[in-house]
Amino acid sequence: MIEVESLTKVYPGGVQAVREIDFTVEPGEVFALLGPNGAGKSTTIGMLTTTVEPTSGRARLAGYDVATEPLAARGVSSVVFQESVVDRSLTGRRNLELHARLWGTRSARIDEHAGVLGIADLLDRPVETYSGGQRRRLEIARALVSEPRVLFLDEPTVGLDPLIRYELLDVLAGLRDRGDLTLLLTTHYLDEAERLCDRVAIMHLGEIVALDTPAGLRAELGDELVELRVDGSGDDALATLQERGMAGTDAFVVGSTLTLPVSANGVDAPAEIRKLDLPVASLTTRRPTLDDVYLRLTGGRLAEAA
Amino acid sequence: MTAVAEVLPLPRRRTPRSFDSLIALAGRRFALTARTPRELIVPLLTPVLFALVIAPALKTALHTSASYESYVAIGTVGLLVPLNTFFLGLGVIVDRDSGAQRELLAAPIPRALLVFGNLVVALAITGLQVGALFGFAVARRIHFHPAGAGVLWFLAAAVLLTVAMYGAAETLASRVPRQEEYISRVPAIAIAPWFLAGSLFPITAMPEGLTWVARFLPLTHALALMRYGLLDDSSGLHNIWEMDNVTASAALSLGVVALFAVVFTRVAVRVFTRSAMS
Repeated sequence: MIEVESLTKVYPGGVQAVREIDFTVEPGEVFALLGPNGAGKSTTIGMLTTTVEPTSGRARLAGYDVATEPLAARGVSSVVFQESVVDRSLTGRRNLELHARLWGTRSARIDEHAGVLGIADLLDRPVETYSGGQRRRLEIARALVSEPRVLFLDEPTVGLDPLIRYELLDVLAGLRDRGDLTLLLTTHYLDEAERLCDRVAIMHLGEIVALDTPAGLRAELGDELVELRVDGSGDDALATLQERGMAGTDAFVVGSTLTLPVSANGVDAPAEIRKLDLPVASLTTRRPTLDDVYLRLTGGRLAEAA
Repeated sequence: MTAVAEVLPLPRRRTPRSFDSLIALAGRRFALTARTPRELIVPLLTPVLFALVIAPALKTALHTSASYESYVAIGTVGLLVPLNTFFLGLGVIVDRDSGAQRELLAAPIPRALLVFGNLVVALAITGLQVGALFGFAVARRIHFHPAGAGVLWFLAAAVLLTVAMYGAAETLASRVPRQEEYISRVPAIAIAPWFLAGSLFPITAMPEGLTWVARFLPLTHALALMRYGLLDDSSGLHNIWEMDNVTASAALSLGVVALFAVVFTRVAVRVFTRSAMS
């Protein structure tokens, strides 16, 4: 449904926002682009929605090339933008009707879509009277009015309070369960990707540095991790562990916290670490999460961005 | 399976037609523009003030004939059209900064339609305001005497001037990043030419250099055509072309205004579609 081949974007001034990325999203799949600010996620969505002109490479939506058949590509897709992109002085209904007319679909089912998203009672009010969560629901309803085959969601829950965020995650889970809609979303929130997505691509500095199912990505770190927090520099502690052969290239540091995958060689890693002369503040073991995969691949930049 | 999954069926769509899309876009723009009467009335205030208060006052003070009021009343159309179109151009910036422009750019329609949808509304609202201006003028007993094709000359000039000025407004709106910068440039683009274009006095009353400048302004040609159409006064056309054949002069002036309309609209579409793409 979405095919991306060597897609590249270089902005004026030579900034390489996206560097020859490749991926394919199957029909009905939910796919996430995960990455810190500046990783190239929004530029990628921009190229797929034909608002950013690719420098090189190809992308197709439902077989339509976004560069040579942009109208057809836009006709099979809808976007929910990171920021609120609505006519606030118009009613919710007017916003939905406009989308239906521009996409050439029937507007008779607007109330049905609004009802499913829990905003049917608000439709005849100006959007400027909506709360942030209601507005975001309206934008999702609007994107669905044209019954797209591909739905792009650019940071759909960013800036929302936790309750609204979880409500929206339920809505997105419902869309995923339909099975006839291909979803591509970008997010900072790893729990969203883990909860909603069939596959995740982690982007860093314009490149895809990992692409797999959430479980597959976690499996790269093994079954267990040691998390060591020290008083002082985590980098110094890592250097010490590497000198002793107790940490490999898959260990990573965020601030004063050091995370090491545990190799399955029967060694009691925590006990061995305690024997070293390190300023240990805490030492625990736990199962890997997607956060660990992400932090290892992007050098902890999510923490800086958040 | 959740409620969303149960209710929403498989996709079904038809290809949107450009005309339907244009009507939808124009309807949206009109709804946004006309949501408060203030936005329709404000651009009218200065021209109405000129036509109804300042022109009669000048006539009295300068001891001119009653036809001067008619002369100025038509001259005020040359202020109303640029003011109105440039006010409407602000909507493009609002759309871009806090409106639904990105959603419209993602629609399966040629992006030029966004400009044309705005243009349709600019024409409709300008038409309403010019009509209101003439209504006030007639109520104030200012006389016009359109004859035969005169009304057509007037309408053609007014429509093409509106198209040209809206093209300039949309171009400026697409090029400047902030509303403040847009507003600061409006006087130079929309108001200064009005003083040079024969709105209040013939262009030949100015120094010769400025007379030549005026001959290159679309507003000068449009006002000369409007006066020819509604007052049967061809002096403005003669001042521009210095020809005895009035019809040929009118056709030439109409061609000039049409040329500006086409060029400014093409530039507006090009600048908008380029600025919409990163």
